Amino acid sequence: MSLASAVQAAPGVYEGVANVIAAVMLLIEFGMLRQALARDQIRLYMAQSALLSVLAIVIAADRNLPDLYALAGLSAALKVVAVPLVMRRLLGRIDPDIADEAPGVAGSQTLSPASAVLAGIVLAAFGFFCFGTLKIQGQVGGHGANGAPALALALAAAMVLVSFGLMIVRRDVASQAIGFFTLENAISLAALVVASALPLILETAFLFDLLVAVVVFGMLIRTHHARAESLSTADLTRLRG
Amino acid sequence: MSAALPVPVIQLLQVLTVALGAPGVTGVIAKVEARLQGRRGPRVLQPYYDLAKLFHKEALAPEGASWFFLAAPVIAVAAYLTIPLLIPVLTTYGLPLGYMGDILGGGFLLSLASFVVATAALETGDPYAQLGSSRAKTFSAIAEPVVLFVVFTVALLTGTDLPYALAATVRSSAGQVIRPAHLLASAALFMVILHETGRIPVETHAGTNEFGMIEEARAFEHSGPFFALLKWGSELKQLILYTILADVFLAPWGLASTRQLGAVILAVAALLAKACAVGCVVAVIDDSFAKLRLFKITEYVSAAFLIAVLGVFTLYLGGG
Repeated sequence: MSLASAVQAAPGVYEGVANVIAAVMLLIEFGMLRQALARDQIRLYMAQSALLSVLAIVIAADRNLPDLYALAGLSAALKVVAVPLVMRRLLGRIDPDIADEAPGVAGSQTLSPASAVLAGIVLAAFGFFCFGTLKIQGQVGGHGANGAPALALALAAAMVLVSFGLMIVRRDVASQAIGFFTLENAISLAALVVASALPLILETAFLFDLLVAVVVFGMLIRTHHARAESLSTADLTRLRG
Repeated sequence: MSAALPVPVIQLLQVLTVALGAPGVTGVIAKVEARLQGRRGPRVLQPYYDLAKLFHKEALAPEGASWFFLAAPVIAVAAYLTIPLLIPVLTTYGLPLGYMGDILGGGFLLSLASFVVATAALETGDPYAQLGSSRAKTFSAIAEPVVLFVVFTVALLTGTDLPYALAATVRSSAGQVIRPAHLLASAALFMVILHETGRIPVETHAGTNEFGMIEEARAFEHSGPFFALLKWGSELKQLILYTILADVFLAPWGLASTRQLGAVILAVAALLAKACAVGCVVAVIDDSFAKLRLFKITEYVSAAFLIAVLGVFTLYLGGG
Protein backbone atom coordinates (compact mmCIF):
# COMPACT_ATOMS: atom_id res chain seq x y z
CA MET A 1 0.00 0.00 0.00
CA SER A 2 1.29 3.39 -0.82
CA LEU A 3 1.47 6.18 1.67
CA ALA A 4 -1.11 8.16 -0.26
CA SER A 5 -3.83 5.58 0.31
CA ALA A 6 -3.11 5.50 4.01
CA VAL A 7 -3.61 9.23 4.39
CA GLN A 8 -7.16 8.97 3.10
CA ALA A 9 -10.24 9.32 5.25
CA ALA A 10 -10.83 6.90 8.08
CA PRO A 11 -13.10 3.89 7.57
CA GLY A 12 -16.58 3.88 9.02
CA VAL A 13 -17.24 3.65 12.74
CA TYR A 14 -18.40 0.03 12.66
CA GLU A 15 -15.39 -1.08 10.71
CA GLY A 16 -13.20 1.00 13.01
CA VAL A 17 -14.65 -0.76 16.05
CA ALA A 18 -14.15 -4.16 14.40
CA ASN A 19 -10.54 -3.31 13.59
CA VAL A 20 -9.87 -2.03 17.10
CA ILE A 21 -11.29 -5.23 18.60
CA ALA A 22 -9.11 -7.32 16.29
CA ALA A 23 -6.06 -5.23 17.26
CA VAL A 24 -6.80 -5.63 20.98
CA MET A 25 -7.19 -9.39 20.49
CA LEU A 26 -3.74 -9.44 18.92
CA LEU A 27 -2.36 -7.42 21.84
CA ILE A 28 -3.86 -9.95 24.27
CA GLU A 29 -2.11 -12.68 22.31
CA PHE A 30 1.15 -10.81 22.92
CA GLY A 31 0.18 -10.46 26.57
CA MET A 32 0.14 -14.26 26.81
CA LEU A 33 3.75 -14.34 25.63
CA ARG A 34 4.67 -12.32 28.71
CA GLN A 35 2.49 -13.98 31.35
CA ALA A 36 4.37 -16.47 33.48
CA LEU A 37 1.47 -18.19 35.23
CA ALA A 38 -1.14 -20.48 33.72
CA ARG A 39 -4.00 -18.82 35.61
CA ASP A 40 -3.12 -15.44 34.09
CA GLN A 41 -3.03 -16.98 30.65
CA ILE A 42 -6.46 -18.48 31.20
CA ARG A 43 -7.70 -15.05 32.28
CA LEU A 44 -6.30 -13.48 29.11
CA TYR A 45 -7.88 -16.25 27.05
CA MET A 46 -11.25 -15.41 28.63
CA ALA A 47 -10.80 -11.73 27.77
CA GLN A 48 -9.84 -12.54 24.21
CA SER A 49 -12.83 -14.84 23.75
CA ALA A 50 -15.15 -12.24 25.22
CA LEU A 51 -13.84 -9.71 22.69
CA LEU A 52 -14.51 -12.19 19.92
CA SER A 53 -18.14 -12.42 21.03
CA VAL A 54 -18.37 -8.62 21.13
CA LEU A 55 -16.99 -8.51 17.61
CA ALA A 56 -19.62 -11.02 16.48
CA ILE A 57 -22.31 -8.75 17.96
CA VAL A 58 -20.83 -5.68 16.23
CA ILE A 59 -20.77 -7.46 12.88
CA ALA A 60 -24.27 -8.81 13.42
CA ALA A 61 -25.57 -5.30 14.08
CA ASP A 62 -23.63 -3.81 11.20
CA ARG A 63 -24.48 -6.34 8.51
CA ASN A 64 -27.89 -7.32 9.83
CA LEU A 65 -27.14 -11.00 10.39
CA PRO A 66 -29.31 -12.16 13.32
CA ASP A 67 -27.83 -15.65 13.58
CA LEU A 68 -24.49 -14.11 14.55
CA TYR A 69 -26.11 -13.06 17.84
CA ALA A 70 -26.75 -16.74 18.57
CA LEU A 71 -23.18 -17.54 17.64
CA ALA A 72 -21.89 -14.78 19.92
CA GLY A 73 -23.89 -16.19 22.83
CA LEU A 74 -22.82 -19.76 22.16
CA SER A 75 -19.19 -18.80 21.73
CA ALA A 76 -19.23 -16.77 24.95
CA ALA A 77 -20.81 -19.64 26.88
CA LEU A 78 -18.21 -22.04 25.58
CA LYS A 79 -15.02 -20.00 25.50
CA VAL A 80 -15.54 -17.48 28.29
CA VAL A 81 -17.17 -19.89 30.75
CA ALA A 82 -16.79 -23.57 29.90
CA VAL A 83 -13.25 -23.93 28.53
CA PRO A 84 -11.56 -21.78 31.21
CA LEU A 85 -13.53 -23.66 33.88
CA VAL A 86 -12.41 -27.02 32.52
CA MET A 87 -8.79 -25.85 32.26
CA ARG A 88 -8.81 -24.49 35.79
CA ARG A 89 -10.28 -27.65 37.26
CA LEU A 90 -7.83 -29.73 35.29
CA LEU A 91 -4.82 -27.74 36.49
CA GLY A 92 -6.25 -27.56 40.00
CA ARG A 93 -6.73 -31.32 40.20
CA ILE A 94 -3.23 -32.03 39.01
CA ASP A 95 -1.69 -30.72 42.16
CA PRO A 96 -4.16 -29.93 44.93
CA ASP A 97 -1.33 -28.96 47.29
CA ILE A 98 -0.45 -25.95 45.23
CA ALA A 99 -3.92 -24.51 45.04
CA ASP A 100 -3.36 -22.05 42.25
CA GLU A 101 -0.47 -22.94 40.10
CA ALA A 102 0.43 -26.20 38.41
CA PRO A 103 4.10 -27.26 38.50
CA GLY A 104 6.33 -26.63 35.53
CA VAL A 105 4.37 -23.73 34.07
CA ALA A 106 6.11 -20.76 35.63
CA GLY A 107 9.56 -20.21 34.21
CA SER A 108 8.96 -22.32 31.13
CA GLN A 109 9.82 -19.46 28.79
CA THR A 110 12.78 -20.07 26.53
CA LEU A 111 13.11 -16.37 25.69
CA SER A 112 13.02 -13.36 27.98
CA PRO A 113 9.72 -11.49 27.75
CA ALA A 114 11.23 -8.55 25.85
CA SER A 115 12.90 -10.83 23.28
CA ALA A 116 9.73 -12.91 22.97
CA VAL A 117 7.76 -9.75 22.21
CA LEU A 118 10.30 -8.64 19.60
CA ALA A 119 10.24 -12.09 17.98
CA GLY A 120 6.44 -11.91 18.08
CA ILE A 121 6.52 -8.53 16.33
CA VAL A 122 8.57 -10.07 13.52
CA LEU A 123 6.12 -12.98 13.22
CA ALA A 124 3.14 -10.66 13.30
CA ALA A 125 4.69 -8.43 10.63
CA PHE A 126 5.25 -11.44 8.40
CA GLY A 127 1.66 -12.65 8.73
CA PHE A 128 0.32 -9.16 8.46
CA PHE A 129 2.05 -8.17 5.26
CA CYS A 130 1.62 -11.58 3.62
CA PHE A 131 -2.13 -11.32 4.01
CA GLY A 132 -2.03 -7.68 3.06
CA THR A 133 -0.57 -8.48 -0.33
CA LEU A 134 -3.24 -11.10 -1.00
CA LYS A 135 -5.81 -8.28 -1.27
CA ILE A 136 -8.65 -10.49 -0.12
CA GLN A 137 -11.92 -8.64 -0.33
CA GLY A 138 -14.69 -9.33 2.11
CA GLN A 139 -18.14 -10.51 1.26
CA VAL A 140 -19.89 -8.27 -1.14
CA GLY A 141 -23.45 -8.97 -0.09
CA GLY A 142 -25.07 -6.55 2.28
CA HIS A 143 -22.19 -4.23 2.84
CA GLY A 144 -20.92 -3.09 -0.50
CA ALA A 145 -17.40 -1.83 -0.94
CA ASN A 146 -17.13 -1.07 2.74
CA GLY A 147 -17.10 -4.72 3.71
CA ALA A 148 -13.44 -5.22 2.86
CA PRO A 149 -11.99 -6.38 6.15
CA ALA A 150 -8.40 -6.48 4.90
CA LEU A 151 -7.07 -5.10 8.16
CA ALA A 152 -8.94 -7.38 10.56
CA LEU A 153 -8.11 -10.37 8.39
CA ALA A 154 -4.41 -9.49 8.40
CA LEU A 155 -4.55 -9.04 12.17
CA ALA A 156 -6.09 -12.51 12.43
CA ALA A 157 -3.23 -13.91 10.33
CA ALA A 158 -0.73 -12.20 12.63
CA MET A 159 -2.56 -13.72 15.61
CA VAL A 160 -2.28 -17.21 14.13
CA LEU A 161 1.49 -16.84 13.77
CA VAL A 162 1.94 -15.31 17.22
CA SER A 163 -0.04 -18.14 18.78
CA PHE A 164 2.28 -20.59 17.04
CA GLY A 165 5.13 -18.56 18.49
CA LEU A 166 3.55 -18.84 21.92
CA MET A 167 3.44 -22.62 21.62
CA ILE A 168 7.07 -22.66 20.51
CA VAL A 169 8.62 -20.40 23.14
CA ARG A 170 6.82 -22.03 26.09
CA ARG A 171 8.00 -25.41 27.34
CA ASP A 172 4.93 -26.52 29.26
CA VAL A 173 1.80 -28.37 28.24
CA ALA A 174 -0.66 -25.90 29.76
CA SER A 175 0.65 -22.86 27.84
CA GLN A 176 0.77 -24.90 24.67
CA ALA A 177 -2.86 -25.88 25.14
CA ILE A 178 -3.82 -22.24 25.70
CA GLY A 179 -1.80 -21.29 22.63
CA PHE A 180 -3.76 -23.84 20.62
CA PHE A 181 -7.08 -22.49 21.90
CA THR A 182 -6.11 -18.95 20.95
CA LEU A 183 -5.20 -20.27 17.52
CA GLU A 184 -8.83 -21.29 17.26
CA ASN A 185 -9.83 -17.77 18.38
CA ALA A 186 -7.72 -16.29 15.59
CA ILE A 187 -9.33 -18.54 13.01
CA SER A 188 -12.79 -17.67 14.29
CA LEU A 189 -11.85 -14.00 13.96
CA ALA A 190 -10.79 -14.54 10.36
CA ALA A 191 -13.99 -16.46 9.64
CA LEU A 192 -16.10 -13.70 11.20
CA VAL A 193 -14.61 -10.86 9.19
CA VAL A 194 -14.31 -12.66 5.85
CA ALA A 195 -17.33 -14.90 5.83
CA SER A 196 -19.71 -13.53 8.42
CA ALA A 197 -22.66 -14.94 6.51
CA LEU A 198 -21.38 -18.49 6.94
CA PRO A 199 -24.27 -20.78 7.94
CA LEU A 200 -24.65 -21.05 11.70
CA ILE A 201 -24.31 -24.81 11.60
CA LEU A 202 -20.77 -24.54 10.21
CA GLU A 203 -19.70 -21.96 12.77
CA THR A 204 -21.09 -24.15 15.52
CA ALA A 205 -19.19 -27.11 14.13
CA PHE A 206 -15.96 -25.11 14.56
CA LEU A 207 -16.88 -24.52 18.17
CA PHE A 208 -17.32 -28.24 18.74
CA ASP A 209 -13.93 -28.81 17.18
CA LEU A 210 -12.65 -26.69 20.02
CA LEU A 211 -14.41 -28.95 22.53
CA VAL A 212 -12.67 -31.96 21.02
CA ALA A 213 -9.35 -30.12 21.29
CA VAL A 214 -10.04 -29.37 24.95
CA VAL A 215 -10.71 -33.03 25.67
CA VAL A 216 -7.58 -34.11 23.79
CA PHE A 217 -5.40 -31.55 25.51
CA GLY A 218 -6.94 -32.43 28.85
CA MET A 219 -5.93 -36.06 28.39
CA LEU A 220 -2.50 -34.98 27.18
CA ILE A 221 -1.95 -32.79 30.22
CA ARG A 222 -3.03 -35.53 32.63
CA THR A 223 -0.99 -38.24 30.93
CA HIS A 224 2.08 -36.05 30.74
CA HIS A 225 1.76 -35.09 34.37
CA ALA A 226 1.32 -38.71 35.42
CA ARG A 227 4.55 -39.65 33.65
CA ALA A 228 6.73 -36.62 34.32
CA GLU A 229 5.27 -35.22 37.56
CA SER A 230 5.41 -31.81 35.96
CA LEU A 231 3.77 -29.95 33.12
CA SER A 232 7.12 -28.95 31.69
CA THR A 233 8.00 -30.60 28.40
CA ALA A 234 11.73 -30.19 29.03
CA ASP A 235 11.91 -33.85 30.10
CA LEU A 236 10.58 -35.04 26.78
CA THR A 237 13.86 -34.31 25.04
CA ARG A 238 15.39 -37.26 26.88
CA LEU A 239 12.92 -39.79 25.51
CA ARG A 240 14.75 -40.34 22.25
CA GLY A 241 15.89 -43.79 21.12
CA MET B 1 -19.26 39.00 22.93
CA SER B 2 -16.03 40.37 24.19
CA ALA B 3 -13.25 41.84 22.12
CA ALA B 4 -10.95 39.73 20.00
CA LEU B 5 -7.46 39.33 21.41
CA PRO B 6 -4.43 40.06 19.26
CA VAL B 7 -2.70 36.86 18.14
CA PRO B 8 0.64 37.52 19.91
CA VAL B 9 -1.22 37.89 23.20
CA ILE B 10 -2.82 34.49 22.72
CA GLN B 11 0.57 33.02 21.93
CA LEU B 12 1.98 34.55 25.10
CA LEU B 13 -1.01 33.20 27.02
CA GLN B 14 -0.18 29.67 25.83
CA VAL B 15 3.23 29.95 27.45
CA LEU B 16 1.87 31.59 30.59
CA THR B 17 -0.85 28.97 31.01
CA VAL B 18 1.71 26.18 30.93
CA ALA B 19 4.24 28.08 33.05
CA LEU B 20 1.81 29.04 35.79
CA GLY B 21 -0.45 25.99 35.58
CA ALA B 22 2.25 23.34 35.81
CA PRO B 23 2.90 23.48 39.59
CA GLY B 24 -0.86 23.51 40.19
CA VAL B 25 -1.36 20.34 38.14
CA THR B 26 1.47 18.71 40.10
CA GLY B 27 -0.26 19.78 43.31
CA VAL B 28 -3.57 18.27 42.22
CA ILE B 29 -1.88 14.97 41.33
CA ALA B 30 -0.05 14.87 44.67
CA LYS B 31 -3.35 15.50 46.46
CA VAL B 32 -5.21 12.77 44.53
CA GLU B 33 -2.36 10.36 45.09
CA ALA B 34 -2.38 11.05 48.83
CA ARG B 35 -6.16 10.57 49.04
CA LEU B 36 -5.82 7.23 47.22
CA GLN B 37 -3.27 6.15 49.80
CA GLY B 38 -5.55 7.24 52.63
CA ARG B 39 -3.46 10.26 53.54
CA ARG B 40 -4.72 13.82 53.66
CA GLY B 41 -1.87 15.03 51.48
CA PRO B 42 -0.30 18.43 50.93
CA ARG B 43 -2.23 21.51 49.87
CA VAL B 44 -2.90 21.77 46.16
CA LEU B 45 -0.93 25.03 46.17
CA GLN B 46 2.04 23.48 47.94
CA PRO B 47 4.27 23.31 44.80
CA TYR B 48 3.91 27.10 44.43
CA TYR B 49 4.99 27.63 48.05
CA ASP B 50 7.92 25.28 47.52
CA LEU B 51 9.07 27.19 44.47
CA ALA B 52 8.64 30.55 46.23
CA LYS B 53 10.66 29.30 49.19
CA LEU B 54 13.47 27.97 47.02
CA PHE B 55 13.67 31.17 45.00
CA HIS B 56 14.45 33.05 48.21
CA LYS B 57 17.28 30.77 49.24
CA GLU B 58 20.97 31.06 48.66
CA ALA B 59 22.47 29.31 45.62
CA LEU B 60 25.60 27.23 46.08
CA ALA B 61 27.70 25.40 43.53
CA PRO B 62 30.20 22.59 44.14
CA GLU B 63 33.84 23.56 44.00
CA GLY B 64 35.26 23.16 40.51
CA ALA B 65 31.92 23.28 38.72
CA SER B 66 31.99 25.59 35.72
CA TRP B 67 29.48 28.25 34.68
CA PHE B 68 27.51 25.57 32.84
CA PHE B 69 26.38 24.10 36.15
CA LEU B 70 24.40 27.27 36.86
CA ALA B 71 23.38 27.93 33.27
CA ALA B 72 21.84 24.48 32.74
CA PRO B 73 18.62 24.98 34.75
CA VAL B 74 18.00 28.27 32.96
CA ILE B 75 18.53 26.70 29.52
CA ALA B 76 16.28 23.77 30.47
CA VAL B 77 13.40 25.99 31.56
CA ALA B 78 13.84 28.15 28.46
CA ALA B 79 13.57 25.01 26.30
CA TYR B 80 10.46 23.87 28.16
CA LEU B 81 8.85 27.30 27.80
CA THR B 82 9.49 27.30 24.03
CA ILE B 83 7.51 24.09 23.45
CA PRO B 84 4.08 25.63 24.27
CA LEU B 85 4.63 27.91 21.28
CA LEU B 86 4.69 24.87 19.00
CA ILE B 87 1.77 22.76 20.21
CA PRO B 88 -1.96 23.50 20.39
CA VAL B 89 -2.36 24.57 24.00
CA LEU B 90 -5.30 26.96 23.68
CA THR B 91 -6.23 27.31 20.02
CA THR B 92 -7.35 25.08 17.18
CA TYR B 93 -5.71 27.36 14.62
CA GLY B 94 -1.97 27.65 14.25
CA LEU B 95 -0.43 30.73 15.83
CA PRO B 96 2.33 32.68 14.01
CA LEU B 97 5.19 30.91 15.79
CA GLY B 98 3.34 27.60 15.87
CA TYR B 99 4.87 26.37 12.63
CA MET B 100 8.49 27.13 13.42
CA GLY B 101 8.88 23.57 14.65
CA ASP B 102 7.02 20.28 14.21
CA ILE B 103 6.70 17.31 16.56
CA LEU B 104 10.37 16.52 16.03
CA GLY B 105 11.25 20.11 16.89
CA GLY B 106 9.37 19.74 20.18
CA GLY B 107 11.13 16.44 20.77
CA PHE B 108 14.51 18.06 20.19
CA LEU B 109 13.72 20.76 22.72
CA LEU B 110 12.69 18.16 25.31
CA SER B 111 15.92 16.24 24.66
CA LEU B 112 17.99 19.44 24.82
CA ALA B 113 16.57 20.28 28.23
CA SER B 114 17.25 16.78 29.52
CA PHE B 115 20.75 16.86 27.99
CA VAL B 116 21.83 20.12 29.66
CA VAL B 117 20.55 18.92 33.03
CA ALA B 118 22.49 15.67 32.63
CA THR B 119 25.62 17.59 31.65
CA ALA B 120 25.25 19.84 34.68
CA ALA B 121 25.02 16.71 36.83
CA LEU B 122 28.33 15.57 35.34
CA GLU B 123 29.86 18.93 36.26
CA THR B 124 29.22 18.33 39.94
CA GLY B 125 31.42 15.27 40.26
CA ASP B 126 28.81 13.80 42.60
CA PRO B 127 28.54 10.08 41.76
CA TYR B 128 24.88 9.98 42.73
CA ALA B 129 23.86 12.79 40.38
CA GLN B 130 25.94 11.21 37.64
CA LEU B 131 24.31 7.84 38.20
CA GLY B 132 20.89 9.45 37.93
CA SER B 133 21.70 11.30 34.73
CA SER B 134 23.31 8.27 33.14
CA ARG B 135 20.26 6.16 33.93
CA ALA B 136 17.88 8.84 32.73
CA LYS B 137 19.74 9.09 29.42
CA THR B 138 19.84 5.31 28.96
CA PHE B 139 16.15 4.87 29.65
CA SER B 140 15.04 7.70 27.43
CA ALA B 141 17.18 6.19 24.66
CA ILE B 142 15.32 2.90 25.15
CA ALA B 143 11.98 4.70 24.88
CA GLU B 144 13.03 6.62 21.78
CA PRO B 145 11.92 4.01 19.17
CA VAL B 146 8.42 4.12 20.62
CA VAL B 147 8.28 7.88 20.18
CA LEU B 148 9.56 7.52 16.64
CA PHE B 149 6.83 5.06 15.72
CA VAL B 150 4.20 7.32 17.26
CA VAL B 151 5.53 10.13 15.04
CA PHE B 152 5.38 7.78 12.04
CA THR B 153 1.75 7.06 12.81
CA VAL B 154 1.00 10.77 12.99
CA ALA B 155 2.79 11.30 9.70
CA LEU B 156 0.84 8.51 7.99
CA LEU B 157 -2.47 9.76 9.41
CA THR B 158 -2.06 13.38 8.41
CA GLY B 159 0.68 13.52 5.80
CA THR B 160 2.53 16.05 7.98
CA ASP B 161 4.13 15.96 11.38
CA LEU B 162 2.53 19.07 12.75
CA PRO B 163 0.67 18.69 16.04
CA TYR B 164 -2.03 21.12 14.86
CA ALA B 165 -2.74 18.91 11.84
CA LEU B 166 -3.22 15.78 13.94
CA ALA B 167 -5.54 17.57 16.35
CA ALA B 168 -7.61 18.81 13.41
CA THR B 169 -7.71 15.30 11.90
CA VAL B 170 -8.90 13.77 15.16
CA ARG B 171 -11.60 16.43 15.49
CA SER B 172 -12.82 15.90 11.95
CA SER B 173 -14.89 12.72 12.44
CA ALA B 174 -15.79 9.91 14.81
CA GLY B 175 -14.14 7.47 12.42
CA GLN B 176 -10.81 9.18 13.02
CA VAL B 177 -11.15 8.76 16.77
CA ILE B 178 -12.04 5.08 16.64
CA ARG B 179 -9.47 4.00 14.05
CA PRO B 180 -6.99 1.53 15.54
CA ALA B 181 -3.90 3.45 14.44
CA HIS B 182 -4.96 6.50 16.41
CA LEU B 183 -5.91 4.55 19.52
CA LEU B 184 -2.73 2.44 19.44
CA ALA B 185 -0.50 5.49 18.95
CA SER B 186 -2.24 7.29 21.81
CA ALA B 187 -1.83 4.27 24.07
CA ALA B 188 1.85 3.98 23.23
CA LEU B 189 2.38 7.69 23.82
CA PHE B 190 0.61 7.42 27.17
CA MET B 191 2.93 4.59 28.19
CA VAL B 192 5.94 6.70 27.20
CA ILE B 193 4.59 9.63 29.20
CA LEU B 194 4.14 7.43 32.28
CA HIS B 195 7.74 6.39 31.82
CA GLU B 196 9.12 9.86 31.09
CA THR B 197 7.39 11.56 34.01
CA GLY B 198 8.84 9.00 36.36
CA ARG B 199 5.70 7.08 37.36
CA ILE B 200 5.84 3.57 35.98
CA PRO B 201 7.67 1.18 35.78
CA VAL B 202 10.66 1.77 38.05
CA GLU B 203 10.79 5.29 39.40
CA THR B 204 9.22 6.86 42.44
CA HIS B 205 8.80 10.39 41.26
CA ALA B 206 8.54 12.16 44.58
CA GLY B 207 10.32 9.72 46.80
CA THR B 208 13.50 9.81 48.76
CA ASN B 209 14.08 6.13 48.10
CA GLU B 210 17.46 6.17 46.43
CA PHE B 211 16.87 3.28 44.06
CA GLY B 212 13.67 4.79 42.77
CA MET B 213 15.09 8.22 42.09
CA ILE B 214 16.35 8.72 38.58
CA GLU B 215 15.19 12.10 37.39
CA GLU B 216 15.24 13.43 40.93
CA ALA B 217 18.81 12.37 41.49
CA ARG B 218 20.11 14.63 38.76
CA ALA B 219 19.29 17.79 40.70
CA PHE B 220 21.09 16.62 43.82
CA GLU B 221 23.79 19.27 43.89
CA HIS B 222 21.68 22.22 42.81
CA SER B 223 20.28 24.56 45.41
CA GLY B 224 18.23 27.70 45.84
CA PRO B 225 16.77 29.35 42.73
CA PHE B 226 18.56 26.90 40.43
CA PHE B 227 17.03 23.92 42.19
CA ALA B 228 13.68 25.71 41.98
CA LEU B 229 14.15 26.07 38.23
CA LEU B 230 14.88 22.34 37.89
CA LYS B 231 11.81 21.43 39.93
CA TRP B 232 9.70 23.83 37.94
CA GLY B 233 11.21 22.39 34.77
CA SER B 234 10.10 18.86 35.58
CA GLU B 235 6.62 20.17 36.40
CA LEU B 236 6.60 22.00 33.06
CA LYS B 237 7.71 18.87 31.24
CA GLN B 238 4.89 16.91 32.85
CA LEU B 239 2.23 19.45 31.87
CA ILE B 240 3.64 19.75 28.33
CA LEU B 241 3.50 15.97 27.85
CA TYR B 242 -0.05 15.88 29.25
CA THR B 243 -1.01 18.70 26.90
CA ILE B 244 0.37 16.83 23.92
CA LEU B 245 -1.56 13.72 24.96
CA ALA B 246 -4.83 15.54 25.63
CA ASP B 247 -4.84 18.35 23.08
CA VAL B 248 -3.21 16.54 20.18
CA PHE B 249 -4.14 12.89 20.61
CA LEU B 250 -6.96 12.02 22.97
CA ALA B 251 -9.29 14.98 23.37
CA PRO B 252 -8.54 17.97 21.14
CA TRP B 253 -11.90 19.48 22.05
CA GLY B 254 -12.55 22.59 24.10
CA LEU B 255 -9.85 24.61 22.37
CA ALA B 256 -10.61 28.14 21.26
CA SER B 257 -11.46 28.35 17.58
CA THR B 258 -11.78 32.15 17.60
CA ARG B 259 -9.79 34.97 19.11
CA GLN B 260 -12.59 36.00 21.50
CA LEU B 261 -11.50 36.58 25.08
CA GLY B 262 -14.26 34.34 26.43
CA ALA B 263 -13.28 31.42 24.19
CA VAL B 264 -9.64 31.74 25.19
CA ILE B 265 -10.44 31.83 28.91
CA LEU B 266 -12.63 28.77 28.43
CA ALA B 267 -9.74 27.05 26.64
CA VAL B 268 -7.40 27.78 29.57
CA ALA B 269 -9.90 26.22 31.97
CA ALA B 270 -10.44 23.24 29.63
CA LEU B 271 -6.70 22.63 29.31
CA LEU B 272 -6.13 22.65 33.05
CA ALA B 273 -9.16 20.41 33.60
CA LYS B 274 -7.94 17.94 30.98
CA ALA B 275 -4.43 17.93 32.42
CA CYS B 276 -5.83 17.26 35.90
CA ALA B 277 -8.00 14.45 34.50
CA VAL B 278 -4.96 12.84 32.85
CA GLY B 279 -3.09 13.38 36.12
CA CYS B 280 -5.82 11.58 38.10
CA VAL B 281 -5.63 8.59 35.76
CA VAL B 282 -1.85 8.62 36.14
CA ALA B 283 -2.14 8.76 39.92
CA VAL B 284 -4.55 5.81 39.95
CA ILE B 285 -2.19 3.80 37.74
CA ASP B 286 0.80 4.82 39.82
CA ASP B 287 -0.90 3.68 43.00
CA SER B 288 -2.27 0.42 41.66
CA PHE B 289 0.86 -1.15 40.17
CA ALA B 290 3.99 -2.28 41.94
CA LYS B 291 7.26 -0.83 40.72
CA LEU B 292 9.35 -3.20 38.65
CA ARG B 293 12.97 -4.00 39.19
CA LEU B 294 15.33 -1.82 37.21
CA PHE B 295 16.32 -4.33 34.55
CA LYS B 296 12.66 -5.15 33.84
CA ILE B 297 12.30 -1.77 32.20
CA THR B 298 12.86 -3.35 28.79
CA GLU B 299 9.71 -5.42 29.27
CA TYR B 300 7.64 -2.32 29.80
CA VAL B 301 9.20 -0.46 26.90
CA SER B 302 8.87 -3.48 24.61
CA ALA B 303 5.13 -3.50 25.32
CA ALA B 304 4.89 0.18 24.38
CA PHE B 305 6.99 -0.50 21.29
CA LEU B 306 4.69 -3.35 20.27
CA ILE B 307 1.65 -1.07 20.50
CA ALA B 308 3.32 1.70 18.51
CA VAL B 309 4.54 -0.69 15.80
CA LEU B 310 1.08 -2.24 15.47
CA GLY B 311 -0.31 1.27 15.03
CA VAL B 312 1.95 1.81 12.01
CA PHE B 313 1.16 -1.67 10.64
CA THR B 314 -2.58 -1.13 10.74
CA LEU B 315 -2.24 1.95 8.55
CA TYR B 316 -0.57 0.04 5.77
CA LEU B 317 -3.65 -1.95 4.83
CA GLY B 318 -5.83 1.09 4.47
CA GLY B 319 -8.30 0.19 7.19
CA GLY B 320 -6.30 1.45 10.15
